[in-house]
Amino acid sequence: MKLTIKNWTGVATWKWVANDDNCGICRMAFDGCCPDCKLPGDDCPLVWGQCSHCFHMHCIVKWLQSQPVNQQCPMCRQEWKFNNK
Amino acid sequence: MASASTKDSKIAVNYWDPLRDTDSEVLSATASTRIRRDLMTIFKDPPPGLFVVGDESDIRYVHAIIVGVMDTPYEGGFFYFILKCPSDYPIVPPKVKFMTTDAGRVRFNPNLYKNGKVCLSILGTWTGPAWSPAQQISTVLLSIQSLMNEKPYFNEPGYEKERWPGDVERYNEILRHETLRVAVCGMLENECHLIIPEQLKEIMETTFLQFYDLYMETSKNKIDLDGKSYTDPFGAGAVVTFEYAKILERLETIRGNLAKKHAIPVDLPLTDGEGSDEKDDNDE
Repeated sequence: MKLTIKNWTGVATWKWVANDDNCGICRMAFDGCCPDCKLPGDDCPLVWGQCSHCFHMHCIVKWLQSQPVNQQCPMCRQEWKFNNK
Repeated sequence: MASASTKDSKIAVNYWDPLRDTDSEVLSATASTRIRRDLMTIFKDPPPGLFVVGDESDIRYVHAIIVGVMDTPYEGGFFYFILKCPSDYPIVPPKVKFMTTDAGRVRFNPNLYKNGKVCLSILGTWTGPAWSPAQQISTVLLSIQSLMNEKPYFNEPGYEKERWPGDVERYNEILRHETLRVAVCGMLENECHLIIPEQLKEIMETTFLQFYDLYMETSKNKIDLDGKSYTDPFGAGAVVTFEYAKILERLETIRGNLAKKHAIPVDLPLTDGEGSDEKDDNDE
């Protein structure tokens, strides 16, 4: 018997690999998105600090913008530096 | 009142006061979901002696009762706080007002002013570690609870040692008396006409009945102080005269009224409207 595949649809799952389940700022799940976004994924990415704490990018940017000097990680109060790994 | 300098407008003086806050901005999506999550965290796993309800009409407001911790001069007292979360919460901390002040007459702690200001670094009203968006409503309330400790005298900068021998104990005697007079009797009688949410009133009533023997025992043990006067070291000259005999009378009256109220047979059918302002919450 011979089959001819006319079309197929690929399905995949994904998840963020973070050391926590929730964003420490909005407290929403990392696998969801920040409260200002509708869809999780590349449009609402996670970012890491050098201190290893992780947040929704939109959440940490809001916090950093509110702190003109002395930008600290909300979790550990160390100076915030993006970890561009 | 000290005259305000030209720089300080009246609003700036009361920047901490949630009830004078004119912010009418719409909450951001982050803020409203965060407030709900903060409340759910407390409902799911309530920290001891901490009770909160959200405001029925405005999600930005949260009402909280802190019950004074055992073995502190505040033990068994009901300390009522109103919190208001700003539109950009949790980037910015909530504003908090302490309501149990006997209408602005009692300073219950070096950090809890009689005008209701709460001096706490995470609220931006004190020096020290500032607010961080990783904080939440429960951590604010737990921080306030930790101010109300066994020896609050030492909370005041410059009072790391007793100024006069016996100061710590005298201050605790003042607080113990004012807790029973204002934060127990005064709150249950609601003599200051505070608008306290019903759920919190019920919590105060059931907790009062549980603690009643303790209140009575403390008052009886301290009755020898009656007639004496102590000056509140942080009260700008305020003098407290002990009146435990009066407190004992008030405690008994409150208990009598609550017993009547709670002794109403709960299975009484509510066929007519008379005397049925108990409505719900009466399931056994």
